[in-house]
Amino acid sequence: MDTKKIDHIISLSNDLRWQIGDEFHDNLAEGIYADAAEIVKDSVHKKDETGAFRIDAKIDKIITSKIWGFPLMFLILAVVLWLTIVGANYPSAMLSGILLDTIHPALKGFASTIGMPWWLDGFLIDGVYLAVAWVIAVMLPPMAIFFPLFTLLEDFGYLPRVAFNLDHLFKLSGAHGKQALTMSMGFGCNAAGIVATRIIDSPRERLIAIITNNFSLCNGRWPTQILIATIFVGALVPASYSGIMSLAAVIGIAVLGMIFMFLVSWGLSKTVLKGEVSTFNLELPPYRPPRFWKTIYTSIIDRTLIVLWRAIVFAAPAGAVIWLISNIYLGDASVASWLIDSLDGFGFLLGLNGVILVAYIVAIPANEIVIPTILMLTVLVTGISAGAGAGVMFELDSVTATGDILRAGGWTLLTAINLMLFSLLHNPCSTTIYTIYKETKSVKWTLVASILPVIMGFVVTFLVAQIWRLLA
Amino acid sequence: MNTYNPITALAVFFALSILAYLLFRPNKGWFWLIKNSSVSNDKIVVEDVLKLLYHNENADKHLNINDIIRTLKYNDRLILESINKMSDHELISIQGDSVKLTKSGSDYALRIVRAHRLWEKFLAEKTGFKEAEWHERAERMEHELSKMDTDMLASQLGNPQFDPHGDPIPTNTGKIAKVKGIPVSELPIGTIGRIVNIKDKPEIIYKQILAENIHIGSVIRIMEKTPARIEFHSEGEAFVLAPIMAGNITVSVLEKDVVFEENLARLSILKENETAKIIGISKEIRGDSRRRLLDLGFVKGAEVKIDLLNPLGDPKAFLIKGTSIALRQNQASKILIQKD
Repeated sequence: MDTKKIDHIISLSNDLRWQIGDEFHDNLAEGIYADAAEIVKDSVHKKDETGAFRIDAKIDKIITSKIWGFPLMFLILAVVLWLTIVGANYPSAMLSGILLDTIHPALKGFASTIGMPWWLDGFLIDGVYLAVAWVIAVMLPPMAIFFPLFTLLEDFGYLPRVAFNLDHLFKLSGAHGKQALTMSMGFGCNAAGIVATRIIDSPRERLIAIITNNFSLCNGRWPTQILIATIFVGALVPASYSGIMSLAAVIGIAVLGMIFMFLVSWGLSKTVLKGEVSTFNLELPPYRPPRFWKTIYTSIIDRTLIVLWRAIVFAAPAGAVIWLISNIYLGDASVASWLIDSLDGFGFLLGLNGVILVAYIVAIPANEIVIPTILMLTVLVTGISAGAGAGVMFELDSVTATGDILRAGGWTLLTAINLMLFSLLHNPCSTTIYTIYKETKSVKWTLVASILPVIMGFVVTFLVAQIWRLLA
Repeated sequence: MNTYNPITALAVFFALSILAYLLFRPNKGWFWLIKNSSVSNDKIVVEDVLKLLYHNENADKHLNINDIIRTLKYNDRLILESINKMSDHELISIQGDSVKLTKSGSDYALRIVRAHRLWEKFLAEKTGFKEAEWHERAERMEHELSKMDTDMLASQLGNPQFDPHGDPIPTNTGKIAKVKGIPVSELPIGTIGRIVNIKDKPEIIYKQILAENIHIGSVIRIMEKTPARIEFHSEGEAFVLAPIMAGNITVSVLEKDVVFEENLARLSILKENETAKIIGISKEIRGDSRRRLLDLGFVKGAEVKIDLLNPLGDPKAFLIKGTSIALRQNQASKILIQKD
């Protein structure tokens, strides 16, 4: 064909396109949809489902009512968290009994019988093994309880209603209603919460949900909060109220996390994330009885084990590092003491101390080992007799004994409160950072999500420390 | 060690935060100002002058050099230099005081207008920027798109004829579709018409029109007209505008035999226990979100009613084709229904 003919065809097509106008595509698509709807109406006959539908409608009326909607929501979240925290104590105690108190000494014994050099034995057993064992003991039981419960609620159809109820608040902060779900998922584990943001279909709101998920207090951090609150905050009031007082402090921190979540979402959507595509529509599926065993199986396989595996992969090197910095000497002090000394000044400015900052640096891989690391390092620095030696993380059965060690390390109520704040506002653990990268495929947003909370943590603890010292 | 005054620490901290705020606050931060001022160059000035001349010649107004200097917000010397340069390159011809576009000048101007309107179309279709922001962003982008970029953008968007405000987009050969219409302020009482264009300049008036929630594509009927106000009904609601606002809305008058649907309404005003039929989705919902709504069953003829109200008022859940779908108020206001 010669070019003249081709040009003619092209210009003819342009002319025709011009004549049919802009709305052609839309009209065609809508026509097809409408025709399809007509055909379905004529040919598909449904059984009368009004009876079943009515029960759904009744449940919906209560769950989304002005009076019961919000209290029910908080009640259910509270029950789930309570079951998780209390229920996890027993299997956790059992696991740590086996992994820490039985297998660990047995391994040590075995190492000495085959004459393993002390540094290899320390590095592998006291470092790597202990960190992994700790993560499994602390992390596995709550996750194995929380995620199945959460998945059951999801399967039943309750969670979309939560998103529906809360959407207005999220809209005000420029976010998506479904962020309510990923936020509560984050109470179990931030990495799982971030994977769950896949349910948000518009990219802008999804990024907001990913970046702010870290403000949900996760399983690795609840135990720290509870322990510190019990030792320092609970002690402020008479013994009979101390339980309630420390519980209130922990809940206060969790609520503060939600407030930060809303504020940061708002800030992001007003500045750096302005104008990405945003759409909102949410399907409220009919209720159905959850498929109990299937749910439990899939949630344990899909959520718990995958997250646990990633945590173990990251915890193992952390254990090695902790052991190494306490056992490698530069001049007359170990690397750990050098680090602690150099960070002490900055730590004091934030109302914390060098030990806490070092613990948070080496424990980036897993929040679970922060408290054991702090205890070990405190003993190392103060030289009081407790624990099992340099680089060996430990925890004490008695809360009072733990408190005594911390007070010997110079802790005050301010240190405790700021540690609780810093535990809420610091970089996500490395499992979460890795997950953020996998989900966003962007180094930039991974950096923002990792560094933003830490800066906020520095600012908040700094301000609290200064105001505290001014008033005290 | 560790002895310092908390007040000093706080003072240093606040000084640093104020500095960071001054440097990086949105739009007016020093950092951004310095960054932007280095970008503004001769090309932008030249193109802005061309555009200004083009728009005025379209409205049969002729400008002189003083008008140009007064209208554009660049420094006078820069504008004068640019005008001389443009005259050397035969983009404009200067006769005495008045400035006119030459053929090549008006082709160039048309290309800028094309880039501007295509970019607005792109922003509307593919991004979530607010309507009020489109113009300003396109104003910056028009200088950066080359002819090839514009053509690629056009074919990506399916060679649209109109931008989201209803202004025609010139084709790459310079063809422009005609907007047939009359400003709302000049319509007699009782006229029925469809909104085809909402002017995006001046910005203050455009923002007021947006705040009234008036959409392109809506059918309106003029109800009342006085020198101080114009009232029209559209989609089940009454709108009252000042003449200056009404003058910026253009309507194409519909034939007499088109029946004005009096009970046409927006889905957002549907009440509990009322049922309605979907008439259509406003043109203001575009791209992916439009397709998503169609997928969910918001198609012409579908029956809809309210399924659930929200404890906080927004969003509401609508029952459509046996499924409950929650939509936010701003989306529901762009779906048209006819109440039963």
